Amino acid sequence: MKNINQDQMFAELLRKDQVGEPNKGIEDRLMYSFLLKNSGSKLKQNSFVSFLGWLFSTQSMGLKAGLVSVMLFFSVMNNQISLESGKVTATDSLFTKRVFVADSTNFIQTIDSIRTDSLN
Amino acid sequence: MQQIVSGDQLAFCELYFRYKGRMYYYFYRMLGNSADLANDFLQELFMKIIEKPESYNLAYSFPTWLYSVANNMCKNEYRRRGVRQEYLEYEVLEPRFDFLNDSTIGPEEMIEKIFQTLDQMGEEHRSAFLLRYREGFSIKVVAEILELPEGTVKSRLFYAKKILGEKLEYLKDQIDF
Repeated sequence: MKNINQDQMFAELLRKDQVGEPNKGIEDRLMYSFLLKNSGSKLKQNSFVSFLGWLFSTQSMGLKAGLVSVMLFFSVMNNQISLESGKVTATDSLFTKRVFVADSTNFIQTIDSIRTDSLN
Repeated sequence: MQQIVSGDQLAFCELYFRYKGRMYYYFYRMLGNSADLANDFLQELFMKIIEKPESYNLAYSFPTWLYSVANNMCKNEYRRRGVRQEYLEYEVLEPRFDFLNDSTIGPEEMIEKIFQTLDQMGEEHRSAFLLRYREGFSIKVVAEILELPEGTVKSRLFYAKKILGEKLEYLKDQIDF
């Protein structure tokens, strides 16, 4: 037998060979797994979703309150200890007063005192 | 594969339908004609694609890569079973071909007998034989899939054909193609 005939014979025999179809359930499971994996990766892409969810939930209220307190404390204290805060840049040869407290009432009073001093 | 990586389900669906029959057949014949095992391995193969689509090696064509993965899965299964693959000598196999001397044998029965014989020869011969004659891959592609030199693939095919060919020669006029 020539090789080419032999090859054709094997190929023909195997082409006719039928062993049935795969289980239909496999397809369903694979499609479900694909959807699951795909939806999982989308959630990961938006990393803010989980953080925002935690932030606006009732979980870890103590921790959140503590964090807010610390942030508030530093923001207030930062203004209080800053040398530049509330500084009056108006100068007068006779009277100059620096106000170190950021208080709108004090600020107005300082302006008034400068004006008064200037008139004198 | 790029579409699958980006989450295109239609692309995955098309891929599955294109290859499910071929891969099922390959697993079925490679794993002792077991439909259950073939189903399990088919599912595992496509789960690998779902879980790690980026593992696809762009150096290969997709069918080559897919069969390569499938073949490695079969090898792992053989290792797990602890099956020793032995090259049986032609002289040892020859007496087992008595079935082929039966002139009333039909094509279906003959195919089963051929695979019984290939089982005796070992998975190396079976995989090369299937990839070459069922899937129609060239020797070069079969060598890539099996990660073997082309010469080794040719040698295995020659050995398998040598044993089966003589018997088919005897029966070729009896088989109704």
